Order: sequence, then structure tokens, then C-alpha cells
Amino acid sequence: MTNVTDYLCLTVSNVAIEYGTRRVLAGISFQVRAGETLVVAGANGSGKSSLLRVICGLQRPTRGEVTIEVGNALLRPVDALPLLGWVAPDLQLYRELTALENLAFFAAVRGIRCTRADLEALLAEVGLDGRGDDLLAAYSSGMTQRLRYAYALLHRPRILALDEPTVTFDTRGVALVEQVVAQQRQHGITIIATNDPREERFGDYILRLGR
Amino acid sequence: MDPHVSSQSISETSAPATLPAAPLLTAAWAVFRKDLRSELRTRYALNAILLFAVSTVVAISLGMGPLTVSRNADLPLIQAALLWVAILFAAFTGLSRAFVQEEEARTAAALRLSARPTAIFLGKLLFNLALLLILVGLTTVLFIVMLRVQVGNPGLLAALLLAGSMGLVAATTLVAAIIARASVKGALFAVLSFPLLVPLLTAAIQGSANALVGRGWESSIGSLQVLAGYTIALFTASLFLFNMVWES
Amino acid sequence: MSDRLRLNQAAKILLGVWMAGIIVAMFLVVPQYVGLGDAGRIIILHVPTAWITTVAFAVSAVYSIRYLWKRRIADDAGAVAAAEAGFLFCVLATTSGMWFANIVWGTPWNWDPRETTILILLLIYAAYFALRSALDDVERRRRLSAVYNLFAAVTMPFLLFVAPRMAESTLHPNCAFIQGSHCDGIWLEMNGTRVGQLGDVVLALQGIEQHGDLAVVQVEVRMPGLRDVALLTPSFELSSGKPADRPEFPGQQFLLAVEEVDLTNGRALLNMEAPGTGLLSNSRTFWTFMASNIGFLGLFIWLYRLRADVLLLQERLARREVTYGLPA
Repeated sequence: MTNVTDYLCLTVSNVAIEYGTRRVLAGISFQVRAGETLVVAGANGSGKSSLLRVICGLQRPTRGEVTIEVGNALLRPVDALPLLGWVAPDLQLYRELTALENLAFFAAVRGIRCTRADLEALLAEVGLDGRGDDLLAAYSSGMTQRLRYAYALLHRPRILALDEPTVTFDTRGVALVEQVVAQQRQHGITIIATNDPREERFGDYILRLGR
Repeated sequence: MDPHVSSQSISETSAPATLPAAPLLTAAWAVFRKDLRSELRTRYALNAILLFAVSTVVAISLGMGPLTVSRNADLPLIQAALLWVAILFAAFTGLSRAFVQEEEARTAAALRLSARPTAIFLGKLLFNLALLLILVGLTTVLFIVMLRVQVGNPGLLAALLLAGSMGLVAATTLVAAIIARASVKGALFAVLSFPLLVPLLTAAIQGSANALVGRGWESSIGSLQVLAGYTIALFTASLFLFNMVWES
Repeated sequence: MSDRLRLNQAAKILLGVWMAGIIVAMFLVVPQYVGLGDAGRIIILHVPTAWITTVAFAVSAVYSIRYLWKRRIADDAGAVAAAEAGFLFCVLATTSGMWFANIVWGTPWNWDPRETTILILLLIYAAYFALRSALDDVERRRRLSAVYNLFAAVTMPFLLFVAPRMAESTLHPNCAFIQGSHCDGIWLEMNGTRVGQLGDVVLALQGIEQHGDLAVVQVEVRMPGLRDVALLTPSFELSSGKPADRPEFPGQQFLLAVEEVDLTNGRALLNMEAPGTGLLSNSRTFWTFMASNIGFLGLFIWLYRLRADVLLLQERLARREVTYGLPA
């Protein structure tokens, strides 16, 4: 894996997003470096979630591009999957599998060697200790959101994109987000999309979308 | 072990043009096992295709019952055609499941972020092959028992069924990935797959008829060659094209 | 720019005159063919439309490759336009062929290799359009339909290889029609096997006589079901080594021809021919046919480029609406 001390810079240049005839983003550019946290604020439909999806390579921008400079390599998001972590209301895991089975599967496809104990430790980290053998179908929405963090942190990504990070969370959940963001600040980039003014305190910078 | 070659040192010294990822086959195997586990728990596809296969064979044997007693020179060809039609239609009901499920449960994004497209394709292909082999096995046994089919050359029939299944899976897995992104999925899968499957069906039916009659292996070398060439060509094309289907 | 426009205009007029000329030539220049009558003239229309279908499919596949390579909207428009024009020609070739077959061969459909191939092409085109209409996102529609187009193109060589093996017979010229017959014909001998079968027809050799340069073979023909029995006398030109007189089978429009004769041993190779064999050996027919091919190719190119331009224009208008917020 890449070294956690490698130079890291995320560049969004002139990204525009359109859905058919509806324009969501009209060309946006910014740079974020390791250790920085960016909050993208805006109302519903302002394009926050789409921007995060574009940064994670889950969606092609209509125009413009996203590049990730790590060490001395310049990568497109789709080639930088090991660097990217994504938490979003859109993120769904396999409901017919247990939490541990889900994590074990994603670890396996990512080529991460880990034991059951490692995965249980990860679940404990996000506050799901002892619930690893439950099917996801039986999870509450708050627990599902916690498991999304476990999924996103599994490979210790350098770039963490959090869409509505505290949605469905109780106060303990909010504390978890704070802890995750603080940890990410040590070695990587965090981008938070939110319409909750209370979450703007996480950011070093705030990007406001919408007219 | 060769002490001079160490993958560790190579990846550290050379510039990381691409990031290290899981070995392709390991990841593909993980996708296959995940799909298998999901399927065994939910039985969405398995129930559908097996019940469909049973209904088709029963329907055919209800209609064809008296025909088996008469001496019709074309009987093996008719039986082979009916067997493959039963397999084909059962396959149409189940083989799109692996990709459609990811889109409908909205889990595709999680998968897209974690695994390389080729690994996903190979895993799904393997899963579809496993599903189809179960289907083909069951349909064939039911066919032989219920329609009192005489199999002259069982080894050849098995080889043709295996080769035909591999071709069917090579052709339909990519189509399943395509239709998973469309708004009407069910009918579209059959509509898109069928024209691609005509060469495969023709070769498989003719070869299977030879096997039922009891002709030797040399009678169906041509069919097996067509099936093998078809499978290789469509598999290779799928590997190239899948990245473009899977990209978001 | 205006030069190009004028050139386009001239080409369009030339194409119109050319096609009109072909239609006239089809009825006035092309002679009637023995056994086919006026129906034989259809090859001037039918064969070119059939092969343009294939050309269209290839053109569409090339545009699809280019689209996946460069992701330019113009290439997608080209692929769609070529497929649409191809579909049109495919329908024309299929219907004109079925009409002709019904008149001449007595059945519109016989699972002949060419019929099979064109039917599958028709299905692929239909599937391609069905896929496009089922994809809502524009970019995804272009990308996935291009992938399907190419994937279908990969199966075509196998179809072309397999199709001739699907049915043992073919309606198309050069081969005999009836179920179970082969292109090889059968050898009958005065001093050996005198009775044989061509398909369902039983042939019995009655005699071989030489009249000058002609070898006349007497054959008793029994049609299936023993309905019709007739004595036919096909002949063979010894000097040129070609069949001369080809009599018709009773009640059917197939011809009995002698393909080889061995006078010393009293043997003859008999075969069935569908009318239309050797149609192009007439030079007037041949040149009209070639001109028709060129004309239809021009027509296809004109049609699909026009359609591609229209598609692109629609796309640009839609974009302009996005940019300037013009009402739709």
C-alpha cells in the first residue's frame, strides 16, 4: 500500500454535472491536501452528493475532471480505489449477509488479509460490538449508518468522503463522526457534504453550493 | 523461491503508476462466494429457474407423451431442440439476477468502490455458470426420465451440455450487466440475448441430437468446435467490453 | 462551404437519376429468365438491399468502436443512423425476398441460411433499438448500446458459419430446394443403380442417347406421394460440358439438370436446380445488377448521413436549451 506520509492532493478542476437538461453544477474547481477537511454546504439538490460521487469515481462529470496526486503519481479516481472511502445515504451493503460477512467480503475483494478478530475490532470502533453476526436486514438505520463507517474505514483510505455524516445518528453517533474526522486529519483528506449548519465546524474550509 | 525476485522491493522502488490491488482471481473468487452465499440464503434465482425448468419439462412431456412411442426418424432432433429450449428459457429467468440484484438493492456502488471490474465480471460469470450447470443437470435428468429419452452416447451429451452452458454464460453475463442499468429488465434480457445465442443453440441442438442417437464423438466434433470458439470469442469480447458497461 | 453544398446537391440529383435509371433498366434492359419470368427481375432490388443490410451493420459497428474510443456524440449518431438505415434495408430485403420466394418457390420461408442470417440481423437491430429506448440516461444509452452493438458483431461470424448447417436445403440459387436434398446431385447408371432419390423425388434412369453434340437423358420422375409421374428428358451439351435443356418437375418450379454424362459407361449425374441459377451470366442483367448495387450503396450513405446530421442537430438544440434556458 502507499505510505501514509506520501504527499497527497485532490484536485477538482472545472467539474460540471448535468442530468439530461438539468444543470446541477456549473464548473467548480478546488484543491484539498492531506490533513485538510473541506465542508461542502448547500441545500437539497445543490449537487453536494453528486460532487462527492464524482470525487469517488462513482459518477462521470459532464465536463471537467478530478485528479488525485499521491507520492509522484497522478491518478483518476477510478484508478485510486484503495485511497477512497465513501459514506453516504446511497451506500447500501448486502442485507442478506451479516455485518461480519459483509466486511469480510469487502476485505477479500480489496485484497486485505484480516482475521475475524480484526473485523470485530473494526465493528467495535464504530460502536457495533457484539452485533457482527446479525443480518443487515435486522439492522436499524442508525446501526446501518455505523456499518457504513466500518465499510469506509476498512482499508484506511487517505481520502474520506462523508455525505450527510450524522444522518440518523444519536449523540454517541455524532461523537463517532468527530472521532473519525479527527483521526483522518492525521494522514489524509476529509470532505463532508452537509446541509446541517452544526456540521460546518468540522471544516477548515467551507464550500457553499447553490445560488 | 528465487531470492533475486521480490515483488515487495519492486513495488517500493518503482513509481506507483497504479495502486496495488487484490490479485484478480482472489477477488473474483470472493465475488463468486459472496453471490453464492447470498443466493443460498435468498434463493431468488435458484427457485425461479428450477421451478421454471420443472414446469417446462412437465409441460413438454404432457404434450409429447405419445410421440415417444411412435417411430419418428426426427425424434432425437426434436428432443434435443426441446431440451435446449427448456434450458434457454429457464436461463433467461435466472441468469440476469446476479447483476440486477446489485442494482436493485443499490449495492453496486459499494462493489464498484471496492473491486476491479474484471474481478467482478469473472466472479459473476462463475456464479452464473454454477447456477446454469445446476439447471442443466436437473433439466436433463428430468427430461430423460419424464420423456423416456434414449441417450445413445451419454459422454458426448454431457460434453455438449457443458460446452453449451459455458457459451450461454459467456454470452449472457455481459448482457445481464447491460440490462441491469435499464428501466425494463426482465423482457429486455431475453430480447437482447436471443439473437446472440442462435449460433450456440444451432450447434448445441445438432450435437445433442447426434449424442441422443448414439453417434460417436467424431459426429459432433464440429459442434464442439463451434461451441468452444464461440465461448472463447464472447468471453474475450466481454472482458474488453465489461469495463465500459460497469463504469458509472 | 457553398462549394461543398453545391457538390452535395449535384450528388443528390445524380443519385436520383441513377436510381430512376436502374428501375427503368430493371424492366427494359434485363431479359426474362427461363423459369422465372418477370419475377426474376427482383434480384436487381432484392440482392443489393440484402447486402447493404450487412454493410450497414458493419458501418454501425465501426461507429460504435469509435464512440467507445473517443466518446464523441457524432459517432453515436453515426452508429444509430447506420443501424436505422440498415433496419430499413433489412425489412426491404426480407419482404421482397419472401414475396419472390412465394411466387417462384411456392413458400415464403424455408430456413435457408440467408433467410436465417437476415432474420437474426433483424432481431439484433430490433434489440438494439429496444435497449436504447429502455435506457433513460443519455450517456449510458450511448455507451451501453455501443457495447451491445459490438458484442452482437462478435457473434456474426459464428452465425455465418453455422447458418448453412441449420437446414440441409436452401432456396437460394445453385442448390436444389426440397427437404433432404444435397447440392451434389446423384449418379445413376444404366448397368447399376438406375433408381435414386433427389430429396423426396424418386428418379429412375430410362436411357441415355446421343444426338449430335447433345446427350439426352430419359428419366422417370415420381413426385412425393406418387401423385405425379412424368418422363423428363434433360440434356447435356458435350462440347461445352454444360447442362442444356432443363425440364421442370411436374407441378413444381424446380428444374432437372444433367450435370455430367459418361456415355461409355452409361452414367449420368442428375441434380435439381432452383430457377434463377445462372441469372447473372447474362451481361445485360449483370451490369444492371452492379449499377443497382452502387446505387443502393449511395442511397444508404446518403440516408444514414442525413439521419446522423438530424440526430446531431437535435442533440445540439437540446444542449442549447440547457445553456440558455430556451423553452423546449
